[in-house]
Amino acid sequence: MLNKKESYAIIDKVLSYCNYYTMATLISHEEGLTRFANSEIHQNVFKSNNTLEITIHDGKKQSKNSTNILDDESLKELVRKTEQNLRFMPEGEYEIPKVTAPAEITNEEYDAELESAFGIPGRASLIKSCIESLDDDYTASGAFSLNKMVFAMGNNSGIKRFCRLDNVSFNTVITHKNGPSGYAEYATDKSADMDVTKLFNSAYSKAKAALNPESLEPGSYTVILEPLAVGDLLSYMSYCGFSAKSVDIGISFLAGKKGQQVFGENISIYDDHTDGNTFSLPFDFEGYERRKLNIIDQGVAKELAYDVRTALKEGVDTTGHGLGEASTGGFPINLIMKNGAKSLEDIIKETDNAILVTRFHYMNVVDPKKALFTALTRDGLYMVKNGQISHAVKNMRFTESMLNAFNKVTEVSKDRTKVPGFFGVSYVPALKIDDFHFTGKTE
Amino acid sequence: MRKKIEMVLERIRACGAEYGDIRIIDTIKESITTEDQMVADIIDSRSKGVGIRVILDGSLGFAATQDLSNLAETVERAIQIAQAGRMLQKEKIVLSAKEIVQDEYQTPIEIDPFTISKEDKINLLLRAEKAMREAAKLSRTTGSMVFQRQDKIYADTEGSYIVQRLYESGAGIEAVVNSETDSQIRSYPNSSGGNHATAGYEFVESLKLVENAPRIAIEAERLINAEQCPSGHYDLIIDSSQMALQIHESIGHATELDRIFGSEAAYAGMSFLLPGTINDNFKYGSEFVTVVADATIPKGLGSFGYDDDGVKAQKTVLIDKGMLKNYQTSRDTASKIGQLSNGTNRADGWSNIPIVRMTNINLLPGSFELDELIKGIDDGFYLCTNKSWSIDDKRLNFQFSCEIAHEIKNGKLTGKIYKNPIYTGITPKFWGSCDGVGNEKHWILYGVPNCGKGQPGQVAHVGHGSAPARFRNVKVGVEDVK
Repeated sequence: MLNKKESYAIIDKVLSYCNYYTMATLISHEEGLTRFANSEIHQNVFKSNNTLEITIHDGKKQSKNSTNILDDESLKELVRKTEQNLRFMPEGEYEIPKVTAPAEITNEEYDAELESAFGIPGRASLIKSCIESLDDDYTASGAFSLNKMVFAMGNNSGIKRFCRLDNVSFNTVITHKNGPSGYAEYATDKSADMDVTKLFNSAYSKAKAALNPESLEPGSYTVILEPLAVGDLLSYMSYCGFSAKSVDIGISFLAGKKGQQVFGENISIYDDHTDGNTFSLPFDFEGYERRKLNIIDQGVAKELAYDVRTALKEGVDTTGHGLGEASTGGFPINLIMKNGAKSLEDIIKETDNAILVTRFHYMNVVDPKKALFTALTRDGLYMVKNGQISHAVKNMRFTESMLNAFNKVTEVSKDRTKVPGFFGVSYVPALKIDDFHFTGKTE
Repeated sequence: MRKKIEMVLERIRACGAEYGDIRIIDTIKESITTEDQMVADIIDSRSKGVGIRVILDGSLGFAATQDLSNLAETVERAIQIAQAGRMLQKEKIVLSAKEIVQDEYQTPIEIDPFTISKEDKINLLLRAEKAMREAAKLSRTTGSMVFQRQDKIYADTEGSYIVQRLYESGAGIEAVVNSETDSQIRSYPNSSGGNHATAGYEFVESLKLVENAPRIAIEAERLINAEQCPSGHYDLIIDSSQMALQIHESIGHATELDRIFGSEAAYAGMSFLLPGTINDNFKYGSEFVTVVADATIPKGLGSFGYDDDGVKAQKTVLIDKGMLKNYQTSRDTASKIGQLSNGTNRADGWSNIPIVRMTNINLLPGSFELDELIKGIDDGFYLCTNKSWSIDDKRLNFQFSCEIAHEIKNGKLTGKIYKNPIYTGITPKFWGSCDGVGNEKHWILYGVPNCGKGQPGQVAHVGHGSAPARFRNVKVGVEDVK
């Protein structure tokens, strides 16, 4: 694992070989993951890698190359080949401006306790103690991983960027011998936040409540989506709608709707790396400072995520959300949904008739312009009647437009949690939504 | 290097492990993307590293690093991880027997793609984009090419030593038309980056991107004004490219034996099949459905010399005339059902453990001409090119959408097209409704370079061959669910 000094030294060295304006990005990564299935550890792995990418600019031309072989000769060869490619590279539409400020952005804070608490023996021991609490009719599967990651950047205009992002994640599905299952998942960069036993017990309770599921016919239902399910919807909305690039190429459901009411007034979504509830990478993959984005404000479409190219095209400043690939554009990675006033428990208590969804499986975009998504329910689907869970329900498939669903949100929970996003975690509440369309079922 | 490899294997033997292997992999990749007749991204990359796998007292440990100068530390870490795994072990890992080999393999290619200049590659994509723009009024055009060369050394404590050089080439184009309320796309030769093969640059040339560009451009333009595909139950013919994904999701993943044993339970899911289902005369589909896992087929994106267990590439019948016959297996999963591995254990690069991955899962051709398949339909659609996919964690309940539906009435294509066709089904019922598969003339092999599975996430490159096939009384659309 490279530290700041070592990372900067590699970046400075490769930049010293460059004859053009160059941005260098170094990612140093270590991951230890313990996977269990059928109540035993079946895959236990560790990997480490350091990858350096350079992007060399010559006017409107740009050439990009990466390697994980970091000796002197290999770095010289990397620069030679990348500069060589510039010769026959066609000009792009824009000359990418040099990143000159701020001189340095760093986030060196990380929780060193993560390593001592969740190293190889620590993970195995925690999994073992959890699994020992299961009745014979249930088995547990899941994954427990410790990630250590460094992002470092620099260019030959003198700027430096460094961020250390360490985190731990745990997920488990507990399955009854007849098939019903329950699930829990959490990821955090704070060791004190990770309560594996609590998560395991939550999944176990869900599995017990999932026994003897009944079949429901496809149709329109009121649903209560727990945070994992909400997070999945939010990630896919972001994927196909929250970037300026997706609006520019005409596939976003927010295209042409800036300033308009697109969701209900109880929906506010923003992107903020400074909020302690997501993983903070304070700069983007183009070296720009990441800004807070007010994406949906009380249902009104406000701001989009820009990378530098989309910003140049529209004559605005980048918001610092570039992924470093022009074909992708900007992408928000610290999504947060504003909470409401009631606890999830109270929302359930006040509900006469609804389906409670733990999480979705294999979500995909059917029509990005309509934000029409489909997915299956998984690992805990329940009927809520007269304020309590009455029985389990067999899994169903939804096909629904988020432009419909997020205009029919009747409750937003007060409590929020970190759920997995496409990069790191999002921080979201549970939602109660009317008229949610389940279009298929699995017997 | 061979001396260093032998030192690693000797250390594994010395610690009392019953098995160990080492894979050193060096991968170079070139990716070119054009957009609206400009170059969007050109990315070259190289990744080299080593992965060491140890089975100690029936428990697996794996460690990987890019630092080839530090093999001693990596092997010790793999041993330490295997020791930790013993803390929670119910069943020891047992590997099925295999042939010990010392061999070399290289993908047969005609033109090394890395000898073709970027300029030539870019020009081909730009000419294809130009041809699309000249044929129709489009909002957006894109083109892409990806090339890969992977050098692999595999050695194990049983005495196998295998050197492989695998090449991949692929390309595709897309035409997009937007209106204020809609966006329609047509892709060639397939969506999600086109078609890919273990082949040289000759494969890209054979795709004839420029020649096919006008057709998809015109279809995209027509789609924006086309009617929404109606909902209901219809007879369908599904084209080869959509069949590739249908096979992938509802047969390929469902017959992976590690998934059937629950290895993926918490993430990608399991399967509706059980370990013993292959002994139960299980009817997976109709008599027209014969499916093989074939890692030996030329140009298949899932073709290779040896898998990452060091097992030779094979062709295995998974479904014979509708009846389930075999699963895709690795050495550790095959031993659980008393079989030898059929060679599907593959890792994503040097930094991941091998897991059961599809090779080329192919629906063998039938005897029908496309016209004959169409003639057998009174009221239905011919669906082409995948647009969206989703299937449940047991691989039963699937829903796909395609780019275009061609109307069939009274045994003929009417020329009318519909947009946004969606179809849905339950796996065995759907395959049971197949009553015709096109013949060899219509059979196409597609490469899928983005198959996700495993934790940490791994991406596999797999292949699927199929001709257009006919299915009866399939649920189309979701608009009728109120």
